[in-house]
Amino acid sequence: MELEEMQTREREPMIVVSRMSHSYEDEMGNQVKALDQINLTINKGEFVAIIGTNGSGKSTLAKHFNVLLEPTEGTVSVLGMDTKDEEKLWGIRSHVGMVFQNPDNQIVAAIVEEDVAFGPENLGVPPAEIRKRVDKALDVVGMQAYRHHAPHLLSGGQKQRIAIAGVLAMNPDCIVLDEPTAMLDPMGRKDVLKTVHALHKEEHMTVVYITHFMDEAMTADRIVVMKNGHILQEGRPADIFKQVESLKELGLDVPVAAEVADKLRKDGYAIAEGIVTDKELGDALCLSY
Amino acid sequence: MPIVLDSVTYTYGQGTPFEKQALTGISLTINEGEFIGIIGHTGSGKSTLVQHLNGLLHPTEGQVTVNGINLADKTEEAKQSRHMVGMVFQYPEHQLFEETIAKDIAFGPTNLGLTQEEIEQRVKDAMDFVGLDYKTYADRSPFHLSGGQMRRVAIAGVVAMKPKYLVLDEPSAGLDPAGREEIFAEIMRLHKEQGVTVILVSHNMEDISKMATRLLVIDDGKVLLDGKPIDIFMKYRETLQKAGVDVPPVSQLTAYLNQRGLPVSEEAITVDDVVASIESLKKR
Repeated sequence: MELEEMQTREREPMIVVSRMSHSYEDEMGNQVKALDQINLTINKGEFVAIIGTNGSGKSTLAKHFNVLLEPTEGTVSVLGMDTKDEEKLWGIRSHVGMVFQNPDNQIVAAIVEEDVAFGPENLGVPPAEIRKRVDKALDVVGMQAYRHHAPHLLSGGQKQRIAIAGVLAMNPDCIVLDEPTAMLDPMGRKDVLKTVHALHKEEHMTVVYITHFMDEAMTADRIVVMKNGHILQEGRPADIFKQVESLKELGLDVPVAAEVADKLRKDGYAIAEGIVTDKELGDALCLSY
Repeated sequence: MPIVLDSVTYTYGQGTPFEKQALTGISLTINEGEFIGIIGHTGSGKSTLVQHLNGLLHPTEGQVTVNGINLADKTEEAKQSRHMVGMVFQYPEHQLFEETIAKDIAFGPTNLGLTQEEIEQRVKDAMDFVGLDYKTYADRSPFHLSGGQMRRVAIAGVVAMKPKYLVLDEPSAGLDPAGREEIFAEIMRLHKEQGVTVILVSHNMEDISKMATRLLVIDDGKVLLDGKPIDIFMKYRETLQKAGVDVPPVSQLTAYLNQRGLPVSEEAITVDDVVASIESLKKR
């Protein structure tokens, strides 16, 4: 894609959340406001990470993006379609795919390629086209070699990549992942994150990525921090992670390099701001060593 | 009173087409008072291994003894030895089932055949231990709690059994950093105040490096490495990578800084250790 075209594309909104609140009734009959007056725009081609403690509203927010939930107040629109408009429901879902935490809950078939084909089959896609989509999706997630395997015998990371392939086969423009690596081992986590980045870079997919792992969040273009149903902050990873203390107070982790840089700065050492990665800390220290 | 594994081999589905040897000739002594971390990639055999520690699985070959008593024996003694080893599985909140929190925690102690007063006392102690107020929570349903609270109820159920050994399989999975710290503070207190021997299976290398006194790396059904966590993270980086496991973020950073020619101490475990080491090298 030409640079100019990419820049225009990136400025077009994919999802717009406007003064949106979501309330529900709990078991005791009390009204609980899970989201309170949220404003957020996610542009086409962006990779946005959402972080926040358990119960901060991240998952509730994400479930609005493909109409698993509807706003109690305000609006959510996807490519200009209001999620409250029932006629647009399937239109919206064809653009926004979702991947959840537990891969075991998302796999339906006994053979990998049949599982990936499940979505497009239900959309009534012609068989030849399904074949093409399944092959492409398995290529993108690097699981082509396993297409005849039984999903339940794969590792967690492999299963999660199958779940992602299943979403890809629906040809969405945007993929929303809700803690996709929470149940995986370090190798599985790396594979899944690498796959998601490939979707973003090579397939120009818009990505919304919810995580508790800061080493994953810091690879996003933009980070949204949530607390008690509000958006507390949003910004580039460097800008978010320089606020070491406020993140820790929130009960969130900070990348090790950012924390070390912050402590050195407080002890009076001249260290540049905005350090997030080990490499950036190494560069800063080598400069002044 | 150690747990001793003597040449333990375990084969799943023996005699079927799906036969798979999950553990091969593991010999290992777990001493009282240790805090052992177990790491290994998915499928390495670590979960199979820990299920041998309280007799959920019995070895295909070899034996597991607690205080000299073979866990596979069908005697009352062997049963009591199995009860000494408490097991907290992954996502233990999925195993809650009773109508009230107090009843759920009482389930284990009731099966031990204790008196009603003793059971009640243990439930109170266990709830107190995990920070759930007895008066407020005892008669509530466990299913109306948050994920972190449900997990604490599940852990309280195991604590109420008063195990001498506690095996925890990924106790912090899916919790946010604050929830993770709460759970680990409780486990640390069990270890320090009540002298419980802890065996922690985790993918989180940071937790292991901060808490464990000994680390076992399991690969391909064998014990690949056995030693002090920081020694293993310092000296066996490549071996660990081959075994599909990571080193903690702090060790990754110190190794990287050394590569860049900054002689920061690789024995650093916490962020403060790294900061102190850098400050000892640099002038303000």
